[in-house]
Amino acid sequence: MPRESVLLKVCHLYPDLLNLYGDRGNVMAFVRRCRWRGIGVEVVAVDLGDEVDFREMDFLFLGGGSDREQGLMARDLVRRRECLREAIEDGLVVLAICGGYQLLGRYYRSADGRTIPGLDLLDFYTEAGASRLIGNVAVEVVIEGERVKVTGFENHAGRTYLGRIAPFGRVLAGHGNNGRDGTEGARYKNVFCSYLHGPLLPKNPRLTDHLISLALRRRGLPAELTPLDDGLEAAASEVMLRRLLGPGKA
Amino acid sequence: MRVLLAVLAGKIVAWLVRFLKRGRGSSLPGLVALKIHPRLLSHFVRQVRRGVVMVTGTNGKTTTNNMLARMVADAGLRAVVNAEGANLVTGIATAFIRAASWRGRIFCDYALLEVDEATFPRAAAQVRPGAVVVTNFFRDQLDRYGELDRTVALIRDALADLENVRLILNADDPLVAQLAATGHAATFYGLGRHAEVSPTSTAAREGRFCPFCGHALTYDYYHYSQLGNFRCPSCGFSRPRAQVEGEGVFAGARYSRCRLRYPGGTQELVLGQPGLYNLYNALAAFAAGLFLGLDPARMAGSLSSYLPATGRMERFRCGEKPVLLNLVKNPTGFNEGLRALLHLDPPVDLLIALNDNDADGRDVSWIWDVDFEMLEGMQERINLIFCTGQRGEEMAVRLKYAGVPLGKIVTEGRMEEAVRGVLRASGSSACLLATYTALWPVERILCRYAQRERAPEGLPSLS
Ligand SMILES: [Zn+2]
Repeated sequence: MPRESVLLKVCHLYPDLLNLYGDRGNVMAFVRRCRWRGIGVEVVAVDLGDEVDFREMDFLFLGGGSDREQGLMARDLVRRRECLREAIEDGLVVLAICGGYQLLGRYYRSADGRTIPGLDLLDFYTEAGASRLIGNVAVEVVIEGERVKVTGFENHAGRTYLGRIAPFGRVLAGHGNNGRDGTEGARYKNVFCSYLHGPLLPKNPRLTDHLISLALRRRGLPAELTPLDDGLEAAASEVMLRRLLGPGKA
Repeated sequence: MRVLLAVLAGKIVAWLVRFLKRGRGSSLPGLVALKIHPRLLSHFVRQVRRGVVMVTGTNGKTTTNNMLARMVADAGLRAVVNAEGANLVTGIATAFIRAASWRGRIFCDYALLEVDEATFPRAAAQVRPGAVVVTNFFRDQLDRYGELDRTVALIRDALADLENVRLILNADDPLVAQLAATGHAATFYGLGRHAEVSPTSTAAREGRFCPFCGHALTYDYYHYSQLGNFRCPSCGFSRPRAQVEGEGVFAGARYSRCRLRYPGGTQELVLGQPGLYNLYNALAAFAAGLFLGLDPARMAGSLSSYLPATGRMERFRCGEKPVLLNLVKNPTGFNEGLRALLHLDPPVDLLIALNDNDADGRDVSWIWDVDFEMLEGMQERINLIFCTGQRGEEMAVRLKYAGVPLGKIVTEGRMEEAVRGVLRASGSSACLLATYTALWPVERILCRYAQRERAPEGLPSLS
């Protein structure tokens, strides 16, 4: 079912600035999996100061950066807050990873006790911890009523605590949001937040396809997708699940 | 007394390691000796007659240090050199223990020490080097070092704490060149403009911002990654003039060459290794040699006959088929490794061995920062790509999303089978790329089926 006439707009925020841990792999995966099915995609790279209307976008990717880069990005996003809020309420599909995730919350409290306000779009907050939470992670995520195991790598000092908001998934192995409550990431409407980089989407095609479907549905288009051969992705995921959970649990 | 005990224990461990043929033994003797005498390094360093040179940076440490060691040896001088990759404090201590007499005495003119970036502050404080060479800074093994900015800051602070040290710095890398602000005397080395410079940088974008004021840097041209002729439009920080500069650069498939211009003359330099980054290593070693007072013509001769260490673009031959083996440990080095494919006889079969032990970096997400997309543009040159190692499956996924057709991707978990597969495949040449802990097993298997090419034959004459 070729849909070249469809054109999904993918917004990659600050691709040059936030380019840690292979984050751009998430955008690549979204784009490739659309194109392999004949769904047209256009990538709009937005840099500091560029004009953009999030309401016109179909998928927004927000990655993480070093502290300094994170500061630059926060300052730039603050003035776009209202536009982003409207788009999110209207069902914009968003994937926010690491620093991008933290920024959508209420605040970040640094190790020296300073409170850095977030965009306050989602109900959670983050506090700096004494140590970094680093390692491979496996998370159970419910996608369209089905339990799916998702894998990635986490590396964050912040501990995130959720308010009245659902987690992205349940930690099977690794630390997750704070190493305590077994939650990983956050989910609100069509916004998906996670500490998993590695990057997340190419390794977890079920999740990627879910995001594509949500984006199509928001446009009022048929959302069922032609199945693809995901043998390589399944094999890679199995290697990690076997290592983290033991044989037979993958 | 404590020194004697520490050296003795270290030597016994070194002997045991060799006797039991366990591992490479390049750091365990030092580990044991340092437990007995934590300040052992200072004891050794005091005995070094002329001085200590430390080489640090992300890529090229081993090659630069080995090149310098070769030039020093060719000048008839004695040096203690730490073994390839044994660049933590324990590896440095092991090198001294090996060179020392049973009574802990060292007879050498120089100590030439390759030092891991994260180890540099601690090692420099103990060793008090007379010269420090810094090659470049790229993103490497993030989960171990934290972010690049932090690594650079740690080295800058450690340098600021030293006295009477000469810095030998890469003029083309803004992250390195800024270290001159520590106030020490500096010699800069770099490459002049040449035919293959690029108006844009395709690699992962480290060091895009001015280290002094944070403004985005502008470039006349790039050599690769953030190396190039940079300038900060805001505060005026710019590429310093290089006292040692490579002019008329040519970086070919089997060799590279340039004219070395230095205060007082020029030398023609021909290297038996491809790639701009090998020229950088040679320039760094040459600049360090100049500071040590070595003869320039003799240094150029030493460099021209220098053979690479294991896995640094090493050439093998399997029957008629040329085979290239290369260590890859970060996106910049990997991009260079892939670019080498352009110089091999097509079609090329490729093997990528990806491990995720501590020394490789436990987080393999860095492979998404490698420009595998360049393979899409050279598809007719590539036959098959074998993916192996602990995370070979993940490597295969990366290739799929770079646009490599599924029919060209072979996932083979058994390394022996993968190496045999790439050698047997129908391509005209083969290229093997391995991360740190995958390199030794790949090399061991490769040696069973292929011959190492020893002499750098086929080099053009200098006349
Ligand atoms: Zn500046």
